[in-house]
Amino acid sequence: MSFEEQVDDIEANTILGGEPFFSRAGGKIFIIWLVFTAIGVLIGVYAPHHLLPTLLSPQGSDVWKTIVVFTVLAAPVAAFVYAVSFYSLFAWRHKGNQDEPPPDAMPQRGNGPMTVVWLAISSLLVVVLLFWGITVWNTQQVTHADTLQVNVTGQQWVWTYSYPGTGVETRTLELPLNRPVEFNITSVDVTHGFWPAVLGVQVDANPNVTTIIRTTPNKLGNFTVRCSQLCGLYHAFMNNKAAVVTPQQFSTWLQSQGATQAVADQSAGVSSSASSPTTTLPGVTTATPTTVPGETATTLTPDATAPTTTAPATTAPAATVPDGTTTTTGPADSTTTTAPA
Amino acid sequence: MTTALAPPLLEDTKLGPNAGGLYERLNIWTGLGFGIFLGFVAWVVSHATLQGSNWGSDMVVTCTMLGWVIGFNIGIGTFNAPIRWMLGHDQTHEDELYVAGVGQGRHRYLKYCTDHKVVGTQYLVLVMVLFAVGGTLAMMIRTQLITAHSSFLDPQTYNAIVTVHGMVMIIATIVMVSGPFANFIMPIMIGAKDMAFPRLNAMSFWVIFSAVPCILATFFLGGVNAGWTTYAPLSVQAPPAMDAFAMCIIVFVVSVTVAGVNTIVTVVTMRAKGMTMGRLPIFTWGSIIGAGLGLYAMPAFLLAMTMMITDRVTGTSFFVAAYGGSGWLWENVFWIMGHPEVYVILIPPVAAVLEIASTFARKPVFGYKVAIAGFVAIASLAIMVWAHHMFTTGWAPNLAGPFMLTTELISIPTGIIFLCTIGTLWKGSIWTRLPMYFVYLFIWNFIIGGVTGIYLSDVPADQYFHGDMFVTAHFHYTLLGGAMIGATAAVCYWFPKMSGRMLNERIGKVAFWLIAIGIQVTYFGQFWEGFQGMPRRVAYYDPQFLSANQMSTIGAYTLMAGWLVFLYMMLHGWRNGKIAPANPWHSKTLEWKVPTPVPLENFLVDPVVTSDPYTYGEGVPDGQEVPDFAPSDDPELVPAGSAGSGAQTDAGGDH
Amino acid sequence: MSFTTTTHDDHDHGHGHGPAVEGAENPGGHHEPAELRDHKERLALWMFIGGDALFLILMVFSWFYLRTLNSNGMWDAAQCTTANPCEDGLGNPIVAQITRADPWHAVIIAGLTILAAGFVWLAEIGAKKNTTKGAISGPAGIAFLFMVLAIAMQIYQFQVLPFTTIDGGYASTYEFFMGSTLAHLLILAFIGLGLWIRSSRGRHAGGTWYRVRLIRFFAVWVALSTVILTVVGSLFA
Repeated sequence: MSFEEQVDDIEANTILGGEPFFSRAGGKIFIIWLVFTAIGVLIGVYAPHHLLPTLLSPQGSDVWKTIVVFTVLAAPVAAFVYAVSFYSLFAWRHKGNQDEPPPDAMPQRGNGPMTVVWLAISSLLVVVLLFWGITVWNTQQVTHADTLQVNVTGQQWVWTYSYPGTGVETRTLELPLNRPVEFNITSVDVTHGFWPAVLGVQVDANPNVTTIIRTTPNKLGNFTVRCSQLCGLYHAFMNNKAAVVTPQQFSTWLQSQGATQAVADQSAGVSSSASSPTTTLPGVTTATPTTVPGETATTLTPDATAPTTTAPATTAPAATVPDGTTTTTGPADSTTTTAPA
Repeated sequence: MTTALAPPLLEDTKLGPNAGGLYERLNIWTGLGFGIFLGFVAWVVSHATLQGSNWGSDMVVTCTMLGWVIGFNIGIGTFNAPIRWMLGHDQTHEDELYVAGVGQGRHRYLKYCTDHKVVGTQYLVLVMVLFAVGGTLAMMIRTQLITAHSSFLDPQTYNAIVTVHGMVMIIATIVMVSGPFANFIMPIMIGAKDMAFPRLNAMSFWVIFSAVPCILATFFLGGVNAGWTTYAPLSVQAPPAMDAFAMCIIVFVVSVTVAGVNTIVTVVTMRAKGMTMGRLPIFTWGSIIGAGLGLYAMPAFLLAMTMMITDRVTGTSFFVAAYGGSGWLWENVFWIMGHPEVYVILIPPVAAVLEIASTFARKPVFGYKVAIAGFVAIASLAIMVWAHHMFTTGWAPNLAGPFMLTTELISIPTGIIFLCTIGTLWKGSIWTRLPMYFVYLFIWNFIIGGVTGIYLSDVPADQYFHGDMFVTAHFHYTLLGGAMIGATAAVCYWFPKMSGRMLNERIGKVAFWLIAIGIQVTYFGQFWEGFQGMPRRVAYYDPQFLSANQMSTIGAYTLMAGWLVFLYMMLHGWRNGKIAPANPWHSKTLEWKVPTPVPLENFLVDPVVTSDPYTYGEGVPDGQEVPDFAPSDDPELVPAGSAGSGAQTDAGGDH
Repeated sequence: MSFTTTTHDDHDHGHGHGPAVEGAENPGGHHEPAELRDHKERLALWMFIGGDALFLILMVFSWFYLRTLNSNGMWDAAQCTTANPCEDGLGNPIVAQITRADPWHAVIIAGLTILAAGFVWLAEIGAKKNTTKGAISGPAGIAFLFMVLAIAMQIYQFQVLPFTTIDGGYASTYEFFMGSTLAHLLILAFIGLGLWIRSSRGRHAGGTWYRVRLIRFFAVWVALSTVILTVVGSLFA
């Protein structure tokens, strides 16, 4: 193609800046783009489901949905870049003697319409992404009236959970199914990251500050709580077993950790008369509550239960905890555990 | 054509016996000697006087590092000129010529040398050394992670290695393009004889040189166990190594600030006749935008690290909550530096990629002005996104929305840069020499890094991914797969000009394939780990992450093999490569129009610029030429060989 | 190539015009016109000052952040009583609000810095008029004297402070401000001494008055930042 023809070509064209949209190069790139897009969309729809662990809460499902939606939205854009770059390698590559430069290509210094279209599409995508993100984020901020409070204390290199009003303080986390839960998280030494991954929520445990995250487990299952913020020597070992169980099992578990039956039932949201541990909810397939091995039981001290028999489980700590009084002292000296007021 | 009346080369000037003054006696060895001596003196004195007091070890380490840095810079000659200025004994013309390297042969590479080409070469070697150190540490990390409970490293050593790997790589990537290429190439590109402040240029190199031993010393001072982000209060409690770490950063900040100011002033004031801002090669734009962003980021780094030092050495409580401080203060100040810094790393190599793509597609840069606007937009947005690193710290949850907005907005100008890159390739005559291989690899990697970034910009998804290996994989795709591969393309592209020799492209292609495959395997393994929920920076992990980690480690070994082959190719080229012609790529920018090796002050005759360097296919003579015979200060100068065509060239400008 | 006609070159420093001045050559020996050097150095100085201003802004941000957060009630230990003592950075009990720094010290330092900047300005005027070298070195010497006095005053303030760095957020940040001021004053004193010596040797008479102006820019900036830190540290304690 001569120089003049190329210039005519540029002027005659709007979108792809060199060829009519469905002519040779444009058409082939379009087909490659379609194929790449399809691959990207398929990966986006199917891969996250297999890569992610089973997610146990709506927030967890949000993570999965977000990945799917974002991948599907990004696939055409990425596919376009891949299509053009691959096509350029195969179709426009200078063959022959590589020691000398090929003749100059067309003097195309830009393409206004293409730039505008590109800008418009990417802006539109950003608006969609942002709308999605903010909508999902706002739905996650909804607070519930009757929440289960769990105080979480991080320290090097262990998490301690206490259930206010029950006197239960453990190093494993158990949560009742379909009960909104509010984690009040703080740290006694350095910054830790409280990360119950499959619940789809995460927040740092900062010393002298209480941070709050909320979620509602909606599937039964076991998982691991990890620390997501490098916190020193044994950061890798700062994790513990956790499980979402039925309310009845949760009540039983609380009692096994030292709570009285009345308190445990109240915390678990089951009526005392119906606390048969064998009941499972309909439609739940993976009812595998585990009593986690004995190491945790040794840290528990029954003497802490006495003053708390009637306390409802709604005592939220202040936003700033000056000296850690609303959380229990660390497990290292658990024999002197004091119950929250 | 008449024969050229070449003026004598400055290198051949005969200097008097006293030229250079004190500089004659100073070189890297006196620098090391003075540095070690003063460091030792500082250690002895501070140990004797301060060791027993509160924070004694921290004071001793800080004093020792300060002694080393000041001593080294005395020994190399950093302070000569300022002190001579203060005393009113300005350096003479002969002194200046001596310091620029006249009559010193190869020794000038080991001295305080103000020639920008020497500084650029020094930076290139330093960056290679830093990458070798950081890469070795990365291999140790991956080796540790090849099994779930490896006993290769103990956790303390592992944490120290993770920290130093991170910070060494950050230092190396910040200077990997703005050091070698913005110093060596960029002044020639704009037709300048040197940088605007040659002495500051030499200073920026030797100051960063003196910073490196500080960070390596951390291994012998207990190791920094807090990661490169050194989140307080863990870092406040860390071993004395943290003081050396912070001193390294403070010294590094001085270097980067000086270099950034120098780069910008050079471009603004030192351009050749006719080299308007609109005719600058795109790489020059990338350099100054990156440098400007660095000037924004570095004060925050300085403040963060100074506060860290005072917290550790004098007992202030900026970051200790119990005594009135806050870890969130550290996180804010650190990321106010930290996110712009990512784009300080990224923008110059991306601009280099555009430059290279244009040369090897034999096409003008697609959307030159649009690309510049894109860089400016990225830089402006980059200063408003820092809190996306803090989505899950609990700080200001109400700001999640605004920071999600600014973060996702950055994908628009980044997309524009992609458009410019593939637009440059569009219907080009793709000349697949070695630099072009890395340009393609840059495109393929960087799009993955970009797409995975949008998951992390979304707060609900970030609550899953924050602090896990997905983040690691994401930023390695952008910084290694994107920025560093772009810098690799730049090395392959400018190596003939810098060394005077060609690279062996057959070896280079072996390196390319190993690197290309290694990156994908390594970081897809880490994406997999991230999806499964494996946290970052752990020395041990649960068995369910085993397969993904083994995949990543295998990829990392492949990657290492690729870099070793690449290193061999560079060393081989430097020693035995074919002698390079002045313009092996038939490029149109000015640095290819000067002889190789480039003479002192670059241009025997002043260049004249009548258009930008992207006149491919326009059928006009190059608008950026160095006339080889015209007298240098003739204001009516026209380019050699294009006499009478000036009007035609200008008409072409209205295309 | 659409830029040839649209872009205006503001900085076309053609070679060969403007006087080449003493002490103003490139290392390669290439003589530069004075106005180019002035332009370069001014631009560089403004960028350094810009970076320094950012440092100042972040310092002030830290001040207000810690003050608002008042973590553990330890901004100034106002909530600490004998019954409910706080701990300082070494674990010793703090039982009462810590005493504020005497604002007059900071005000005096700021005043001395302003005076120093003023005399640098006088030196600049002298250099610009191109009169005798005494018209430059006289004010420069006085400016240096004020700089040294400000440094002495700053060191004195460190010694008489009613608190130390370990006494919480207010004490930490206030002393950090003082340290920052001291560092700036030391740099300024180095430059001021140089100005004095050089002008005594007649270096700044003649065509290089613009270099005195550079020093004036920096001196005024140091005075301004000292005033800002004094205001923040005294009025918003």
